[in-house]
Amino acid sequence: MNRKLLVHVAAPIAVGAVVLSGCGGSSSGGSSGGGKKTIALAYQGPLSGDNAQLGINMDNAVKLAVKQANDKGDLPFTLKFVDADDQGTPDGGPPAAQKLIAQSDVLAVVGPAFSGATKASEPLFSQAHLLSVSPSATNPQLTSYGFSTFYRVVPPDDAQGKEAAKYIAKTLNSKKTYSIDDKSEYGVGLSGVLEPALKGLGVSVIHDGIPPTKDYSAEAQKVVGAHVDTVYYSGYFAEFALFTKALKAAGYKGNLMGGDGDKDQQYVVQAGAKNAEGTIFSCPCADATVDPKAADFAQAYKAMFNADPGTYSPEAYDAANSVISILKQVGAGATRQKVADAYKSVDFQGITKEIKFSPNGEVAGTTIFIYQVKNGKIAVLGTTADLVKG
Amino acid sequence: MCFTHSFWQLTISGLSDGMLYALIALGYTLVYGVLQLINFAHSEVFMSGGFGGLFVVQALVGSKTPHGASSVMLVLLGVIVGALVGGSIAFILERVAYRPLRRRNAPKLAFLISAIGASLFLVNIAGKQFGRLAIPMPDLYTNGNVFSVFGADVQTNFVVIAIAAAIMLVFLDRLVAQTRLGQGIRAVAQDADTASLMGVNIDRVISQTFVVGGLLGGAAGFLFGLVFNVQYNMGFTPGIKAFTAAVLGGIGNIRGAVLGGLVLGVVENLGVSCVQSAWRDVIAFGILVLVLLFRPTGILGERLGRSA
Repeated sequence: MNRKLLVHVAAPIAVGAVVLSGCGGSSSGGSSGGGKKTIALAYQGPLSGDNAQLGINMDNAVKLAVKQANDKGDLPFTLKFVDADDQGTPDGGPPAAQKLIAQSDVLAVVGPAFSGATKASEPLFSQAHLLSVSPSATNPQLTSYGFSTFYRVVPPDDAQGKEAAKYIAKTLNSKKTYSIDDKSEYGVGLSGVLEPALKGLGVSVIHDGIPPTKDYSAEAQKVVGAHVDTVYYSGYFAEFALFTKALKAAGYKGNLMGGDGDKDQQYVVQAGAKNAEGTIFSCPCADATVDPKAADFAQAYKAMFNADPGTYSPEAYDAANSVISILKQVGAGATRQKVADAYKSVDFQGITKEIKFSPNGEVAGTTIFIYQVKNGKIAVLGTTADLVKG
Repeated sequence: MCFTHSFWQLTISGLSDGMLYALIALGYTLVYGVLQLINFAHSEVFMSGGFGGLFVVQALVGSKTPHGASSVMLVLLGVIVGALVGGSIAFILERVAYRPLRRRNAPKLAFLISAIGASLFLVNIAGKQFGRLAIPMPDLYTNGNVFSVFGADVQTNFVVIAIAAAIMLVFLDRLVAQTRLGQGIRAVAQDADTASLMGVNIDRVISQTFVVGGLLGGAAGFLFGLVFNVQYNMGFTPGIKAFTAAVLGGIGNIRGAVLGGLVLGVVENLGVSCVQSAWRDVIAFGILVLVLLFRPTGILGERLGRSA
């Protein structure tokens, strides 16, 4: 978007949002407790709508990080938590971002959660010099738009595609792989990286795209007829579950693998535990319920919310804590600009990975985890770095 | 690649889809026959049958997969409950969404809007009440290969659908051809005004037609859920496909709906083996357009009254 246009469009929206936030009743600035200044760490993501659960996983993790930071008692300020619901949609992004920008005590944002909402919100954050660290927006393009205050703590989808290809070629020793996507932006993006990477490693690849449907029996016949040893599905768990059922009914016996959109306990429920057994997933996400490094976090999360941390909870927790470490470093005189500048050189050891960034906001290191369904539960096997030799 | 290696296998999955389309298509065609109206809420009648059957079998099946006689009983029970729930919803639909409009001689467009409104209402109330995630049907039998035809495996799922569909289709054919209700349906379809002058209670016939269509649609919903799963929006795609099947065979024509459903299912599945799966619907609807270009009234022609 051209800058002039941006100002023309964004400025009236900003004014509107300031006026509106007056009715919102959110107190800004002010002091509390022992005379310490109050500053706020915000979260933006879906809190309602079809994808609310994923957003709540992250919202809770940020809440927990803020509570723990305050409880520790060594902050030079009192930290407050606020959130804004963008429903995970591009349309919902800008209003939610404006709501946060309008609150002057918000010095950093964890989020936005989804790629579409992130793309729509970041121009506003850049303009307001407000730091935003996404726990989960994986679209590869996001770091190429020149947003000045955007960072993400997950590697983009192209890292996942490349690492999954290595795992298929070298650990599963595949000779011939059937790669299927669901024709969504996410699925096509992932299969588009996976397939050339597989070919580069000497695996022959058959491609197919199937828009979400219920009846995969004809496709399953095609897969069985193609005599492949591995199937990789780039899409979401509900369709992958039905596809799995159809494949097993058609007598498919090879490896079955999916991406982060497929990795959900609902996959096992909907495919049936018997059919799902042995399915492998690649995911840039750490799983706090099985990773020993995240045991303390998982315990504290469960104590506070009476639920296990979900997908992307650990990443949100890391994003929040890395931001808090910078807020602490900048101290009581923190401004949005100072926080955003200081975050450029953050180096924080989180529970999922070491949080530090290349200049475009991409997290250093590409840790991709491999999971497998064992006894009806999704268990972690390790990172591709550990599992793929040579 | 095309057709060669799994022709019979694909034909069998096509027939299985096609029988479900046919059962749903009958609901559209019967109602069109007596009212010249497409009941767009019929896909939600189908969905409600899926949920009705699901809840009953969920309550009865434990953690173990039943087999033998208890499998047969459970499937039978599920089909009956699905049909009854579908029939009741269709009955209520007619009372609430159509009859008041008919009383006021509303224009055809009002019926269409009323149907779409009822459909959206039912989808969303189901989504709110039962959640938006797909719910798998508990295993009522172990799905496996039963026998082979021309080297293609026929699975338990297919056998269950085929037997259930065949019984219902024969039952419907006899009902329309031989019973008093069937006579009424045919009379109203041929000429509603004359039928009324001859002493046919039009309101009752229309109501009963909705119920018959709902029974078939609800049973189809349970069978569909058995093979795939049950979800608040499960009716949408099969509903559109079944409507297509009804038009393909000749809307208002009972045998046409069955033929249209089977043709559509088989063509769709065979087509997928020739091109990428994304073209599945393009093939299905391309065939529809072609047939309608050359035979605007569908393969077997329109009108319930004349052909049945």
